[in-house]
Amino acid sequence: MAIAEASASGHGEFEQSRFRAIRGPAGLVMGYVATILVLVTLNFFLPRALPGEPLEALSNPRSPTFIGDQERRLAVEQYYGLDRPAGEQFLAYLAGLMRGDLGKSIRYNVPVSTLIAERLPWTLLLGGTALTAGTMGGVVAGIRSGWRRGRDGDRLLLPLFVALDSVPMFVVASVIISLFAVQLGWFPLSGARTPFSDAWPPWRQALDIGHHLLLPAGLLAVQFSAFQFLVMRASMIGELGSDYIRLGRAKGMTDRILKYRYAARNALLPTVSVVGLQAGLAVSATIFVEAVFAYPGLGRLMVEAIASRDYPAIQGVFLIVTVMVLTANLAADLAYRRLDVRTRR
Amino acid sequence: MSAPILEVNDLHVRFANGVDALRGVSFALDRGEALAVIGESGAGKSTLAHSVLGLIQPPEASGSVVVAGSAMLGATDQRLRAVRWSVVSLVPQASAFNPVVPIGDQIAEPLIEHAGMSAAAARSRTNELAEEVLMDPSLLGRYPEQLSGGERRVALLAMALALDPALVVLDEPTSGVDPIGRVALLERIATLSRSRGFALLIVSHDLPAAAQLGARCMVLYAGEAMESGDRHAVIHQPAHPYSRALISAYPVMTTTRDLRPIRGSPPDPRAIPPGCPFHPRCTQAEDICRNQRPVLEPSRDRLVACHFGGVRVLLAASEISKSFRTAGRTVRALDAVSLTVEHGEAVAIVGRSGSGKSTLARVISGHLHPDAGRLVLGDPVLGRTSASPGELRRQVQLVMQDPWDALSPRLTVAELAREPLDIAASKNAEQRRQAVAEMLNAVGLPTSGGFLSAHSHELSGGQLQRIVLARALLAEPTMLVADEPTSMLDPSEQARLLVVLRELQVEKGLALVLISHDISLVRKVSDRIVVLESGQLVEEGRAEQVSGSPRSEAARLLVDAAPMLEHPGGDPRPPSAPGGRWTR
Amino acid sequence: MTASASWFLKIGGAITGVFLLLVVAGPALAPYDPQAVVGASLVAPSGAHLLGTNDAGQDILSQLLVGTRASMLTGILAATLAVAAGVLVGATAGLLGGWADLVAMRIVDVFLAIPALPLVILIASLASPSRATIVAVIALAGWPPISRIVRSQTLVLASRGYVHAARGFDSGWPYVVRRHLVPGLAPLIVATYVNWASAAIVLEAGLAFIGLGDPTAVSWGSVLQRALGHAGIYATAAWTWWVLPAGLAIAGAAIGLAFLGVAIEPRSNPRWARS
Repeated sequence: MAIAEASASGHGEFEQSRFRAIRGPAGLVMGYVATILVLVTLNFFLPRALPGEPLEALSNPRSPTFIGDQERRLAVEQYYGLDRPAGEQFLAYLAGLMRGDLGKSIRYNVPVSTLIAERLPWTLLLGGTALTAGTMGGVVAGIRSGWRRGRDGDRLLLPLFVALDSVPMFVVASVIISLFAVQLGWFPLSGARTPFSDAWPPWRQALDIGHHLLLPAGLLAVQFSAFQFLVMRASMIGELGSDYIRLGRAKGMTDRILKYRYAARNALLPTVSVVGLQAGLAVSATIFVEAVFAYPGLGRLMVEAIASRDYPAIQGVFLIVTVMVLTANLAADLAYRRLDVRTRR
Repeated sequence: MSAPILEVNDLHVRFANGVDALRGVSFALDRGEALAVIGESGAGKSTLAHSVLGLIQPPEASGSVVVAGSAMLGATDQRLRAVRWSVVSLVPQASAFNPVVPIGDQIAEPLIEHAGMSAAAARSRTNELAEEVLMDPSLLGRYPEQLSGGERRVALLAMALALDPALVVLDEPTSGVDPIGRVALLERIATLSRSRGFALLIVSHDLPAAAQLGARCMVLYAGEAMESGDRHAVIHQPAHPYSRALISAYPVMTTTRDLRPIRGSPPDPRAIPPGCPFHPRCTQAEDICRNQRPVLEPSRDRLVACHFGGVRVLLAASEISKSFRTAGRTVRALDAVSLTVEHGEAVAIVGRSGSGKSTLARVISGHLHPDAGRLVLGDPVLGRTSASPGELRRQVQLVMQDPWDALSPRLTVAELAREPLDIAASKNAEQRRQAVAEMLNAVGLPTSGGFLSAHSHELSGGQLQRIVLARALLAEPTMLVADEPTSMLDPSEQARLLVVLRELQVEKGLALVLISHDISLVRKVSDRIVVLESGQLVEEGRAEQVSGSPRSEAARLLVDAAPMLEHPGGDPRPPSAPGGRWTR
Repeated sequence: MTASASWFLKIGGAITGVFLLLVVAGPALAPYDPQAVVGASLVAPSGAHLLGTNDAGQDILSQLLVGTRASMLTGILAATLAVAAGVLVGATAGLLGGWADLVAMRIVDVFLAIPALPLVILIASLASPSRATIVAVIALAGWPPISRIVRSQTLVLASRGYVHAARGFDSGWPYVVRRHLVPGLAPLIVATYVNWASAAIVLEAGLAFIGLGDPTAVSWGSVLQRALGHAGIYATAAWTWWVLPAGLAIAGAAIGLAFLGVAIEPRSNPRWARS
């Protein structure tokens, strides 16, 4: 799947600006803003447009999603404002967004924004470490594999990483948990820290968090590295037959120099452009891993919200997560423009 | 006498896809010497250049390549690195710079990696190098993308000289460089080669560039060397049929003749024909050429790979004299005139009326017997005796001035065209009809029933003359003699006939002797011009020389009298320049 | 095909073949009705139940065998829809150019920018749960990237000299599409399809896993969801026969198709096959 998506964004080619009418960073930012607007609108319309009238069902005593508790039901009805005309609803929604009001969670009865603020740091910790480790590992492995295409380690690594890329992580996660956490007992089963550990000295807390982090982050890192490996490898292979590498060899440069200073430096560019894509995939993977490990991040929140049809929470997480991914995309696009000397004028 | 800097012995390169890029090339290059390898695309030139750097290894390459005593084929990476760039370097054809590293850093790279210089020392040396090749030093900080093609080429040159190598290989040094930049670049290279004393191996299809830089030239075709020798010999008096055809096909200011393509096309490198690789396109090929590969051997003070040692003489007329007696007077039409015509050559005989041109035409085509002198058809080295008139008439077909005279008014076009076949009686009726149709097509005439049954009085002079030409060709001659073929035709028909004549000459591989008093006409068709005056041969030389800077009085008069369209602003004729750019 | 590519083809083809067989023969091979309670709860594998029973006493083997159909078909159907929509939009945009292309690609760009899974989750949780929803939602995630790939390739093909020549011979677009574009796009479409089928299967399982699957049907994802939702699943040995086989089934089908995709890809995408 990763391969297909990578091809779509054209790894190797680069989609400069989503808003192609205007070139340059301005165009990129405008495209970004436009997409956010579409997103916000989409978020508004989907619950109201999809078949099954999910929002109305919340107030319908006969529906399985009926909210028994009156106070909560009223809060939700207030937030969605279904009795008001559509235009008014939309404006109220936008006004709420400006204020940071994402509604109140049906399940937890606290503002969604509060929930998100609680959970976001954990997701960032998990995703951040995994992304860093996975990208580095994948890039390094990809460079070596691409250089030695079809020989030595590549013959092992390629099928391995293809398998890792396509296998659902939550399956692997369950196996890993039962092996390392249950059977061997080396790692905790779930959570981000031991309960009541906030009373411990800071260094011990840090260690504890790290201990809990290792398994989920490791798994995520493996998934990220698989994707990054495939992209980097393909990029390296693309450089292999180039004229400048042949001339480098004629100049008497060693294999090591040719591999890194010549091929890898050029092959690295396309991988930057897919970092944005990587962020999207990161989100998906993180949701699953958090679910399996019961890690208290946004992903877990999403899964909990689904179980209880907690629409405000689902929508809130969707919005925040998507905005984060779009921002990462924008950052990657802007960084690419600076890095690619060809477009630097 | 020190050892050669480069020795290539029986180098064969065959790629995985079955392409035979090089089929046994051998040569040596001494220190400080320059060799230009000339050939068209696909001849194996770039492969040769890369092989010298050891970039092509066994199993694809076999034979031996030795640079300064180090064998390049089959050497270890370490050995290769020791030789590469410090002893032999390459200026490649394509701009092969690393896109993400500034130019200056790339030039400095070998200085740092090989010579162990510090970054600062390397930088200053890079600046020096840039100055030496007359490169703008501000370009050093830029990326390859930001330089023009010509600037990149110069930067590649600077990079190649970084470690002061003993041998520099240039792969198409002028490709993609504009004409003015070209001159400057070539001069730079030549100067640097002299001052630093490195040997040059130039590989190119740009003949003048190769000739300017290389003291020796080697002509490559289908992965083999066809001819190799001193530059002046190879380029100005090419011996091998391919060399001659190649140089003829090259557009330069120094030739006036229209471009003449080489007939046929280069062989598929996966399926090179047996025997001499050029034989399918050669105008003088015989059985031995089809079966046996010629070896590069000394011939005519150079090396030639041809069973005949180079282009053969087709007709050798020596000391031809002929007199006529009319009304008591004796007119000496020809006075010891000698003429040789080589296979595939186009020679023009010009002179005033009464200079003896037509007489000579009739003599060499066997229609007139000379009083004295010998006519040999074929290679005189083979020691043939004088050709019989019958033999001459068959092998050398004559196209005369007056088409109405040459064709019987009673016969139809079809019958006229068929006549040589009817006489020879070698084909059946159907085959003859077919041959006639093809030939009429070839000279641009219709083959409809109506046309075929027309009579000569219904046709124009140009059409008739083309029928004459068609008939002549149906006789399958080896040489055509055309005596003032266009003088009776309208200008547009003249043009048409000459175009057809030229095309068919190339197509059929014929030799052509064109007789005319119009020098401006013949110089577009012929390689050589022979000037007759009062029965004597007064000047002979290359078409551009005789028409551009005539030496004899007769020729000068002809040139001056040649018609011109008046141009506002004076004489449009190019200033006569002896020789040309190639002889510097 | 290179040696390694043919290795991928053989292994991938074999695995996929087995699963396709099970799609057809699965229900017939199942010893029990997957939804019937046929034994005690959490019985270890035995002669009567080769993969034991789950917490409700249903035979796990039967569930997996019958579930093959749901999982694989959902994935295949979703991929078919995604590819069909993607090809339609991409090829049309590539051929027509101009406004149609501009508008279509803007829409696609927006979809591409939004991360797929959150959107899928959002829609799936809002809409009524059913197989159709799942298929539609997965297809929705798939068609934008596919349309981009198809459009790129269409543009390349449409600019080829032989297309111009055909147009010069006054052929209509249907002829060009039939004669030149379809054969040109076919390898790419096949490779994309196979890759997406693999992704779709995983996605379906994933959605079921987080509770967004079709509650009525038995699929690998639903088995896995139930297993992992069972409290203390890791404490007992039950996970080896309840969690693992389901997981392996999903992983196996996904890998089989992915390997097939890698084998086909070099032919359609020369960048992968450069020596």
